[in-house]
Amino acid sequence: MTFRSKLFWVFTIALLLSVGVIAAGVTVVARRAFDDLNRQHSEALVAQFEGEFQRRGQDVVHRVQGIADAEGTVRMAIDLGRPKADVSMYVNDARGVSQSHQLDFLDFVATDGAIISSNEWPARFGYKMDWLTQPQDWSSVGSFLMKVDTQDGPALGLMAVSTVRVGDRDLFIVGGERLGKDFLNSLVLPTGMRALLYLDLDPSFQPTNLVDASGTVVDGERLASFIEQERQEPREQTFKVSWTADPASAEAFHALPLQGRQKELLGVLLVGSSQQEVVKLEQHIRDLALAVVAMGLCFGLLLSWWGAARVTRPVRKLAEGAREVSEGNWGARVDVRGRHEIGQLATAFNRMTTQLTEQREQLVQAERVAAWRELARRLAHELKNPLFPLQTTVENLQRAKDQSPEQFEEVFKESTGILLSEIEHLKKIVGRFSDFAKMPQPELGPVNVNDVVRGVMKLFDAQFGAVGRPPISPELHLEENLPVIQADAALLHRAIENLVLNAMDAMPAGGVLMLSTTHQDGSVDLEISDTGGGLAPEECERLFTPYYTTKQHGTGLGLAIVQSVVSDHGGRISVESETGVGTSFHIRLPAKPPLRSAPAHSKDVSAPAVDEHSEAKQPEAPPSKGA
Amino acid sequence: MKLRSCLFLAAISVALFHTGRVESSRRPRYGGTVRVEVGAVLHSLDPAGAPADPDEASAKNEIDALLYDQRNPDGTFAGVAGSGAFHIAEWESGKHVTLAANENYRGGRAFVDSIDIEMGRAAKDRLLDLEVGKADFAEIPPEEARHAAERGVRVSTSLPEELVALVFVAGHSIAEDAHAREALARSIDRAAIVNFILQKEGEPAGGLLPQWSNGTAFLFSTAADAVGAKDLWSQISGSPRIVLGYDSGDSLGQAIAERVAVNARDAGIVLSAEPIASPEPSPPRYDARLVRLRITSSRPREALVSFQSGLPAIAGLDASPLPAAASSEQIYERERAVVSGYRVVPLVWLPRVYGLGARVRDWKAPVAGEGWPFVDVWLEQESQ
Repeated sequence: MTFRSKLFWVFTIALLLSVGVIAAGVTVVARRAFDDLNRQHSEALVAQFEGEFQRRGQDVVHRVQGIADAEGTVRMAIDLGRPKADVSMYVNDARGVSQSHQLDFLDFVATDGAIISSNEWPARFGYKMDWLTQPQDWSSVGSFLMKVDTQDGPALGLMAVSTVRVGDRDLFIVGGERLGKDFLNSLVLPTGMRALLYLDLDPSFQPTNLVDASGTVVDGERLASFIEQERQEPREQTFKVSWTADPASAEAFHALPLQGRQKELLGVLLVGSSQQEVVKLEQHIRDLALAVVAMGLCFGLLLSWWGAARVTRPVRKLAEGAREVSEGNWGARVDVRGRHEIGQLATAFNRMTTQLTEQREQLVQAERVAAWRELARRLAHELKNPLFPLQTTVENLQRAKDQSPEQFEEVFKESTGILLSEIEHLKKIVGRFSDFAKMPQPELGPVNVNDVVRGVMKLFDAQFGAVGRPPISPELHLEENLPVIQADAALLHRAIENLVLNAMDAMPAGGVLMLSTTHQDGSVDLEISDTGGGLAPEECERLFTPYYTTKQHGTGLGLAIVQSVVSDHGGRISVESETGVGTSFHIRLPAKPPLRSAPAHSKDVSAPAVDEHSEAKQPEAPPSKGA
Repeated sequence: MKLRSCLFLAAISVALFHTGRVESSRRPRYGGTVRVEVGAVLHSLDPAGAPADPDEASAKNEIDALLYDQRNPDGTFAGVAGSGAFHIAEWESGKHVTLAANENYRGGRAFVDSIDIEMGRAAKDRLLDLEVGKADFAEIPPEEARHAAERGVRVSTSLPEELVALVFVAGHSIAEDAHAREALARSIDRAAIVNFILQKEGEPAGGLLPQWSNGTAFLFSTAADAVGAKDLWSQISGSPRIVLGYDSGDSLGQAIAERVAVNARDAGIVLSAEPIASPEPSPPRYDARLVRLRITSSRPREALVSFQSGLPAIAGLDASPLPAAASSEQIYERERAVVSGYRVVPLVWLPRVYGLGARVRDWKAPVAGEGWPFVDVWLEQESQ
């Protein structure tokens, strides 16, 4: 992961954390505020309900008392007070009276508790309301909740009882209002709130008994568990219900138990507060947080880009400079200004590369001097050998001038022959140096390396088995499907010939010469191995240096030429050698050599240098001379 | 004289005594038009067509009785229209019909010149018109008789001649349970229905025929037995429920059905009273229904036969004919056979209640099978 990426992620995570913490904090605060507001609304609504409940209760009491005080009721009471009174004539009175007094429930009940007339259940005449006959001062009771049996089933009523006493007989007037959706409709509810009423009229929870201002509550079963709790233990409680998977459908409820005269649970008022606004606000906060995060990400991206660029640009330049140095450009410089650590590092880097360049030039100069010295030594060595016979021959000629003409003639002939021979030798030496200096540019064409190898081996066929020469067994392992490469066949032939000659020289007592070809990734690999005495590691290191030789009469140019040819083809050459086992040269030639302006040796023939395309692999065993 | 005849004459006498509003102190006078209001709406007086609606059939029957002179044993009329005491003077379908007195009626011309019958008048409107003198004659519901009398309307009540009964629908599982049928029959407090709902205009019915008809009605129990009903109902397995249907336009039927439901509830029977939609669904949703059957003859055998044929086929009763000369005992046995299975549960007997205007004189409440006796009615002059 780059420094820029790290910086970006650090910035982003920090931003996410901070935005998340802020959003969560705002959400919690907002939720608390809404909860407080909902609680206040619920309390206000409960207070409103209780106030409305009391007001209606008082109203019911007044209306029932009004019925009791009416002339018709008093007349009925008087009539019913007579012996053998006929109650049947009043059987339909409750209906009309209840309508005129706008009461949902009205019963005229005789002193024995028998219903004379009932509005809510006209057919129930004659049946008894035993609870009325218990001693009770109904005028002090006021209104109360009661489960009322009606023709359509039980209902919840806000009831009042009044009595008309004639003699020792009472006429009870039991009237009331139905507590249901009409009652809920009369409540003024704030937006987002609603009031539900559960009428506890059945032994177990019945969804149809849960009503709101519009009728039966849909999905009322979801409130069953809370209603059951109220049924078990009537008390005020709050809870939340999610109607659907959508969080906005959640609703907070405040439950208020409604109890009758005997403290029995008759109903539960549920004040519901929609959580839609809270959820919307939370959603809004979340959206805002996401927007901030998104903007923060963009900003972070830009900032990290800018910041990272500002921080990493000099680092990158330093890395680039280091890479250039590693690639050989020791003169690379880093353009970083500033007095900060990176600037100081860049200054140190530049100073280092400057020193490296200077030291490299000094080294090259030293190597060049050394090379010239080596060349001079080799030249002196090569030239000294023919010069000494030349000098001796000339001195013999000078001494022979004083001898007889016949002797002089003999000496002269012998001397001139020697002179010519040595001069020829000198010419050869000069020619070899000249050849190395004149290495031609490769003329590329399609070449099958196997053909070149076979051509070289054909030249040496006669020598492998010749009498008086060490017995050498050639082995060819040539891959038949070798790809054709772009190369100069003549130069390749010369390089391979040099390597074969080297191998034959390395096996004075005979051995096995093996040549093998393979291919890999479009390149052709050629290996030439011998079973000679092997090379020492230091010899391997200098093997491709021009004019370096391990042989008594070598010029030290053969492997340099080989290395030059391989390099000119864009290939690589390496050597592996193990003392007592043998030496292997590995050449890898690309299918098509890269374009090069000029080979290194042609630039500066006189400046021997270690070619970048050659390498020596050292065996672990101590090396021994032999190559 | 047979027991049946004696009982019949006694019943007639009692009825006449109760209705005793015979205006014999004044001399009859001719002339005038009797203004009659009926609730039914008739669109035809064709003798071949009998309306399906009981009220319409009853009204048509009353008018036909005024138009025709002869009547067949089965209750249908013979001869030509106009051979009776009146003939049709005006006819406006569905609204009113005016009958004019037949000058040549063999029984003698009626005292009134005409009868103007207005159709489609609701019960409360009829009662109101009687109160204000806008109508001279109208039938009023029995349960309103007491109320009408309190408001000053002259009321004439016939002998009980309409049976309200509860009939179980054959084939319904609960209706096929004898215990369930008997439990419901025992739970019903018929006296309360008569006293409260009918305002004492009627009689509890234990059998099919009223006491004045065959004289054996007292042999059938009408007492409620909630405890026995509860015991019987408790023997029924499962959680059965009875749906009791009543005609949606029948307010009296509704009141009785709801009272039956209250009685049943008191006995632990789960019963709901529901109006029967029109047209009736097939098969019916109700397990039992209330029916109102009117006696078409003062003779008990014919009355019982007409009941048997009139009872809905849903009851699945034995419809074998009674002998033509069936004795009272045979009639009683047949009646007992019908009632003892509790497939038909008689509830109450209803009289016909007539409201009379102040100027109507010599009105005699007709007995079962007879039409309105307008031949003998005369109108007192307004000035008097």
